[in-house]
Formats: sequence, C-alpha cells, structure tokens
Amino acid sequence: MKKRLIAFTTMAALTAFGVYAQDAEDPFADAVETRHGLMLQMASDLGTLGGMAKGEVAYDKATASKAAANVAAIASVISMAQFPAGSENGKSADSYALADIWAKQDDFLAKITDLNNAAAAMQTAAATDGDAIKASMAQLGGACSACHKAYRQPES
Amino acid sequence: MSRLVSALLAVVLLGFGGFLLLSSPHSVDVALYDGLKGDAAKGELVFWAGGCASCHAAADAKGADELVLAGGQEFPSAFGTFVAPNISPDPVQGIGGWTLVEFANAVTQGVGKDGAHLYPALPYNAYNKMVPQDVADLKAFMDGLPASAEPSKPHQISFPFNIRRSLGIWKLLFVRDDWVIAGDLTPEQTRGRYIAEALAHCGECHTPRNALGGLQRSAWLSGAANPDGKGRTPNITPAKLTWSAADVVEYLTSGFTPEFDSVGGHMAHVVENMAKLPESDRQAVAAYLQLVPPVN
Repeated sequence: MKKRLIAFTTMAALTAFGVYAQDAEDPFADAVETRHGLMLQMASDLGTLGGMAKGEVAYDKATASKAAANVAAIASVISMAQFPAGSENGKSADSYALADIWAKQDDFLAKITDLNNAAAAMQTAAATDGDAIKASMAQLGGACSACHKAYRQPES
Repeated sequence: MSRLVSALLAVVLLGFGGFLLLSSPHSVDVALYDGLKGDAAKGELVFWAGGCASCHAAADAKGADELVLAGGQEFPSAFGTFVAPNISPDPVQGIGGWTLVEFANAVTQGVGKDGAHLYPALPYNAYNKMVPQDVADLKAFMDGLPASAEPSKPHQISFPFNIRRSLGIWKLLFVRDDWVIAGDLTPEQTRGRYIAEALAHCGECHTPRNALGGLQRSAWLSGAANPDGKGRTPNITPAKLTWSAADVVEYLTSGFTPEFDSVGGHMAHVVENMAKLPESDRQAVAAYLQLVPPVN
C-alpha cells in the first residue's frame, strides 16, 4: 500500500512537472498564436475580395475597400515583433516558421515590404471593380507565397 | 563438374548479353525532328509549363536569375541525392551547341549527349509525351538564355543505382509513352492533359511510386510521400480535391486556396510557372483534374 502511494505520488509529481516544464519550454506560444491570428484574419478579408474576383459575389465598393484596408493594416503589423528568435518549427509547438527567417532576416523583411506594396495596390483595385481585384489578386498571392515558399514548413 | 561450370558460365554470359541488349539507350526517331524550326516565343511557354527553371535555376532565384540554368539544386531521395546539372547554353559546362536531336534525346528519352542514360529525376517519363515541335520551340528559347560557366556537380548516388546501364531496365519497366487518362476528351480536356501529363509532370510528385521508384499509374495523382522523406504531396484526385474549376484556376494563378491560405514549398514554384501561361491553359488543367478517377 505504501509502495503504491509512493508510486502514485511520483507519477503525479512527474505529470505536474511535465505540464509545467512544457509551459516553461514554450515561451513563444503567444507569438505563434498572434501570427496565426493575423493570418486567419487576413484569409477572411482575402475571402471577401476573392469572392468578387471569382465573380461568385457581386462587386461592392464599400465591402471591398474595407477588406482591402484590413489586409493592408494586417500587413503593416507583421514584423520581427511576432517572430522572436527561437520561435521556429520543431522548437515551438504549432510553429511552421523556418529557421531561415532569422538567418536571412533582410530577405524576410524585404518580402514583408513586398506584401505591403501588394496590399496597397489591392486597395486601389478594391476601389475600382471586380476585374481590377482579380488582376491584383495575383500580385498579392505572389507576395504571400514568396514568403511561404522560403520560410514556412509545408504541412502534412 | 567442368561441364556444370561451362553451363553456368554460358547462362551468366547469356544473361549479361541480354542485360546489355535490354538496357541499351534508345534515340528518338530522327525523322520526326528533321527540318523542324524552333520558335523561341512559343518555347518560352513550353519552358514555364515544363517547370525547367524550378529545378535548374538556383533555389531562391527570382526575376532574371530564374533564367540562369546553372544547376546545383539538390534533390534527396531514397536512392541518393540528385544534383541538377548546368543546362545553360555554355558550350563547355552547359548544353550549348547540342543538336536538336541530342536535346530531344535528353529531354524526352533520358539519354545524354554521350549516349548514357540520365536519371529519371529529369521527368522524361512525362516529357516523352511532348510533340516534337514543342521540343524544338523549347530548345530555341533555351538557346537564347544566359550562359553560365558553373561546372555541374556529380550526383551522390549509392550502389547499385550508380550503374547507369541498369536504368535501361528501369525504363523498360516503368517508362510509358501513352496517356494515363485515355478516352474521348474535349479539346480543353486534351489541352489540360497535355499540360498536366506531358509538360508540368504533375504525376512525378503527386503519384505514389513503388519500391523501385516506378509510378503507380493505377493510383494516378492520389498523393505520395515526398521523395526527401518529409511529409506528403497531397491527393489531387476528385476524391480529395473537391475544389471547383474556378478554385483550381485561382490557385494556379495567385496561389490562394479556397480558404485563402497560400501555396508554399515546391508547389509555389509550380504556381509561379502556371501563372505565366494563358488563363485558358489553367482552365484546361482544372478541366483535366475533374477527369481523373477518384482514389481515396
């Protein structure tokens, strides 16, 4: 009985420590969650614009302009602030960020600038018409995938 | 006893002779290329559709650098690491000065200028379905690209796969020049099949392979383990890829999925290439994908 109690206590202690240790080992959880949140909001606004680009939804200037403004705002937020050194794939849970982000930081930042330029072009397009949005979508998508190609670990 | 040795020796020699016969490299039908003139402007579209730069330019090349086909990108696989060679028009390190037939043999038959088999990391199992005029146009375009004097690096392939002659047997077993999706196709579907099966070589990554690296055509485009061992290339048969044709066209243009995630990894190269083609070609690929038998 006593033996069993010791075993149980040890197990419980180890489990508690394990949970604690996991938290202590992942100081980047907030940064990773912030990144994913920014991307999800971006996807939502791109969905609004994409529906008009594909002709699935009728063009509406006010809605399109709001979505494009959101995309531009999110792009302007993205910086090294959400990418603290070490918050990379394999070291931080749920992170798909590749270590090259920090090894080639100048290029990473240049790609963020490209994204901001593409987002600005989309704001002009969104105030024009559906065809302009469609044309601008390719530049914006190119900016997204340029970064994802170089700096995101593919899923699956 | 000595009779047994002689008999064994005869069997071995016969077997070796058979091996030499079966494994010998084959050339294209020279008559098909006789008098063909390449059109560089048309060849540029063949070049992007075929994805040449994605493997033969530097990995992070963009803009004009994508047209410097100096090679050097590494492709790890179960058989060793393949290194893309220099295919720029440099006459010493590249393929400058090759005749159209030599070029066609390399691209469509996987046979080098020296007559040796090339490894199927070069997707000649797809390019062998190219029409000769497209091969001529492609060569005309590539002849005008910048030359690089960078020497090609050797592949790092282990025994027995480093015996190039054995690739002749591999080709006998696995190289097919008929279409995977057969039957009556509309002109748009036919165009899509040509892009997907002959030029863009979708099946090379999206179709599973057997233990010897041969494509399992009965499971066409149903997804496969990545050759480098990390992750999988997705199933794009209608069983799993339930996107509309418009969704596929959007993806191949901007890289956006219907959920507005964006393309990454090697597929980002493919999207960049496809985006350079006329929209009708992307629509054709979308139409073709809907024809592929669903595989779960």
